[in-house]
Amino acid sequence: MTMSDWSKVTRPIPVPNEWTRPFWDAARRGVLELQRCQACGHFQHPPYATCVQCMAIDLKFEPVRGGGAIYAYTIMYHTGDKRFAAAVPYASIVVELDEAPGALLAGNLLEVPYTEAKVGRRVEVIFEKLNDDITLPQFRLARAT
Amino acid sequence: MWDNRCKIAVSGVGYSKVSRMADIPLAAHALEAVKGAVADSGLQMADIDGLATYPELPATGHAEIDGISVVSVNCMMAMLKLPNLTWHIQVGTTNIGGAVQQAVNALLAGVCKYAVVWRAMHNPRGTYQNLPGAYAHGATQFTAPYGFGGPGQGMAVAYTRWLERNNQNREKMATLAVTQRKHTQHNPHAYFYGTPLTREDYFASRMVAYPFCLFDCDIPVQGAVAIVLTTADRARDLKPKPAYIAGYGQRLHFEVAGRIGSLSNYMEGGSSSAKLTWERSGFSPRDVDVAQIYDGFSASVIYGLESYGFCKEGEALDFIQDGRIELDGELPLNTFGGSLGTGRIHGLWHIIEGALQASGRAGSRQVKGANVSFVGASAPIVTGTTFIFVGEPY
Repeated sequence: MTMSDWSKVTRPIPVPNEWTRPFWDAARRGVLELQRCQACGHFQHPPYATCVQCMAIDLKFEPVRGGGAIYAYTIMYHTGDKRFAAAVPYASIVVELDEAPGALLAGNLLEVPYTEAKVGRRVEVIFEKLNDDITLPQFRLARAT
Repeated sequence: MWDNRCKIAVSGVGYSKVSRMADIPLAAHALEAVKGAVADSGLQMADIDGLATYPELPATGHAEIDGISVVSVNCMMAMLKLPNLTWHIQVGTTNIGGAVQQAVNALLAGVCKYAVVWRAMHNPRGTYQNLPGAYAHGATQFTAPYGFGGPGQGMAVAYTRWLERNNQNREKMATLAVTQRKHTQHNPHAYFYGTPLTREDYFASRMVAYPFCLFDCDIPVQGAVAIVLTTADRARDLKPKPAYIAGYGQRLHFEVAGRIGSLSNYMEGGSSSAKLTWERSGFSPRDVDVAQIYDGFSASVIYGLESYGFCKEGEALDFIQDGRIELDGELPLNTFGGSLGTGRIHGLWHIIEGALQASGRAGSRQVKGANVSFVGASAPIVTGTTFIFVGEPY
């Protein structure tokens, strides 16, 4: 049995701020949007005050398809964080999206055993509703296209 | 090369008792370490006219109380009441190595004569990374909802990337843990002095955050260490043989806060700091006789060895095999036991050992003929610094 049990986990609720609100508004609609520089086209995440590639300040949130690869991951066994203790072991992953090289998104690998997490494996975004305001982008292994 | 190479030296060093839990306030540990360093130099407390530290507690969710969980410059000033104090600072963009570098700069500028730098570390009761919050603010809003808590997981994700991209095996890391614990048995101040570690112990230990098992993580302790820095001419008049600072550097790379798991953050942080250090000192990795590389998590040593230029990227776990990092090896490494042996005091103990090895004062763990002594203090990411100490000024 290598499936993580997420049913008893209490995830901390993200608190949007002026930089990040469009990301969470889009996620609530089931869309993954990332901050994009309108001058050079660079996608970045987390959102920032300026384009970290060209220093422009004209940044807008634009939708991306949400397919990518696992850039890195860890399997958590330690139960110090009581909010997540019921789910150990679980895979926390970092995903690099095809459309946004260099923009790294955190997530969990859901719907499969945590042992399926491997660097380079193809994943796609899914959405996990936390409450009426906040929906989390999450990831599962990519289905055959 | 740097015009100021070998103009400043580490003289005395001092330690407090290191224990799992505090029976006295942290300020008392810091005072013990500072008094020890001043006495080791053969100075009087009234001679000290400069103070510097980095007072962070890397635990989460615990009250920061000056004198109990951190020891600030103000706290030290209140305790010591130095009659001749002329300079002090706390640093933020670098860990304790930055405080040492600022003391070097102050001594070069002539605004103080004998500076003390200390690092005091608290071990709070209860869970170290205490994360009870129902909400995730700031940069953590993109990480905490997914169970990314303490710094260990941030380091662990970069480590999986390193391992799998380089087709490497985490079991090779046992050599680092076991060798450093062997070195620890020559360091009576260390937490794990008297407690050896076998390869079997390493393989049998519980997983914390894969690929890190228990013995890949330094153990939280309460304790403090301290050093006295002064100008080379003054240092030569003091009791210990000076360890001259031939060059130093700091990381020059920063990626957007909250961008976790980026291996480039570690590698570019480390290489930017080391480049300054090699250029200023005139040395290269091939010239180094002994190295201390920060090891709060074992993988930091990998990032250090590769980004500082001791081996190529992807090779560090092979580099540490076959006796190379033993006391009589090609590159004796973390000869005082590292943080994995001493307990979590951050990088000042690495700096102390770098100085002791350069000046021939490392006792039964002294590397024979050591002159060029390298230190990577703190993880290359975010707060890293690097140093070269030499026993023979040039």
